[in-house]
Amino acid sequence: MIDTSFLLPGLVLFVFTFALLRRVSAYHAFTDGAKDGMKLFVDVYPALLAMMFAITLLRESGLMLMFTDWMKTISGSVPSEIWPMVVFRPISGNASLAVLIDIFKTCGVDSLAGQMASVIQGSTDTTFYVITLYFSSVGIRKIKNALSIGLIADVAGISMAVLLTLLFYA
Amino acid sequence: MNLLWLIMIAVSLMYAFFTGNISVINDVCLKVGKDTFDFVLPLICMTCFWNGVLYVAKEAGMIKVLEKWFHPFLKWLFPDIKEDEETLGYVATNITVNMFGLGSAATPVGLKAMQGMQKHNPKKDTATRSMVTFLVLNTAGVTLLPTTLIALRSEFHSLDITGFMPLAIFSTVFASFVGVMVDRWCNHRD
Repeated sequence: MIDTSFLLPGLVLFVFTFALLRRVSAYHAFTDGAKDGMKLFVDVYPALLAMMFAITLLRESGLMLMFTDWMKTISGSVPSEIWPMVVFRPISGNASLAVLIDIFKTCGVDSLAGQMASVIQGSTDTTFYVITLYFSSVGIRKIKNALSIGLIADVAGISMAVLLTLLFYA
Repeated sequence: MNLLWLIMIAVSLMYAFFTGNISVINDVCLKVGKDTFDFVLPLICMTCFWNGVLYVAKEAGMIKVLEKWFHPFLKWLFPDIKEDEETLGYVATNITVNMFGLGSAATPVGLKAMQGMQKHNPKKDTATRSMVTFLVLNTAGVTLLPTTLIALRSEFHSLDITGFMPLAIFSTVFASFVGVMVDRWCNHRD
C-alpha cells in the first residue's frame, strides 16, 4: 500500500511555513479556530445523540441483522454491514456517522467493512440535508433536477468507493 | 427526516417487544447518552485542532490563493453570476472550506452564496441553473481532508489511519465530476 502517514504532517508543515513567510499572527488564528470548533459540540452532540439512539435500537433489536442477512444473498464480496451505510449516507450525515461508528465497533476499524465504510463516508456529502437547507434558506420551492443529480453523484461516488476498497483491501 | 427517525425508533422498539428482547433496549436507553458523548468529545477536540490549522491557513492568505485558482473554473460553471465577484467569492470559499472537511464552517458561507445567486434570480421560487450546479458540487462534497474520519479512526486505534484517504479523495472527485457532467448535460439549455 501507499504510505499515507506523511499526508497530515506535510499539510500542517505547508500551512505553517506559509504563515511564517507571510508573518501573520498564526498563534491567535489557531486559538480562534479551535474556539470556533468548540462551538460545534453544541450542534453535533444533540443531532448525533438522536441518530445514535435510532441506529443502536435498530441493531440491538435485531432488525439490522435481519436486513444485512437479507442483503447478504445479493451483495457478493461486498461486506453486508455496508448496506445501512449506503442507505443512510445521502439522507443524514449524522445517521451515516452513527452507522460508521457501529461498524467500527462490531467489525473493527481496519476490517474490510471498516475501510469501506470510511471511504464511503469520505466520498460524498449528505444530499438531502444540503438541498433542504440551502434551498429553504432563500425560499426556493421548485428545485428542478437538483435532487436527482445530487443522488446520481452519490451513487457514482459510493460505487467508486466500494470498487476501490475491494480492489485495494479485499 | 423527522418521520424516518420516528419510524426507525418505533419499528425497532415494536420488534424488540415482539421478540422479547426488551432488556437489551433498556440498556440502550440507559447508556446511549454517555456512549455518544464518549464519541463526540474526542471528535470535537480533533476538529478544534484542524479548525485551528484552517484559520492559520486563512490568516496566511492561502484560502485566497486557492480561490484565485478556482476563479476561471467557477466563471465557466456559473455563467449567470460571473459579473458578481462577491457571490463568486462566497462560492469559492464554500468549496475551499469543504475541501478541508469542515462542512459546518462551510455552511454559513454557502448560504451567503445562495442569497447572492437569489439576487440574480428572475423567478424567486424556482432554482436557477447556477444554484443547481452549486448544490450538486456541495452534495458530492469534494473533501480532501476528512477531519472527522481521521479523528474517528484514530479513536478506534486504527493501524492505518490515513490509508483510506487516497481512495476517498478519488471517489469524491469522481462523484463531483459525474455530478457536474450530468448537470451540464441536462441543464445546458438554461
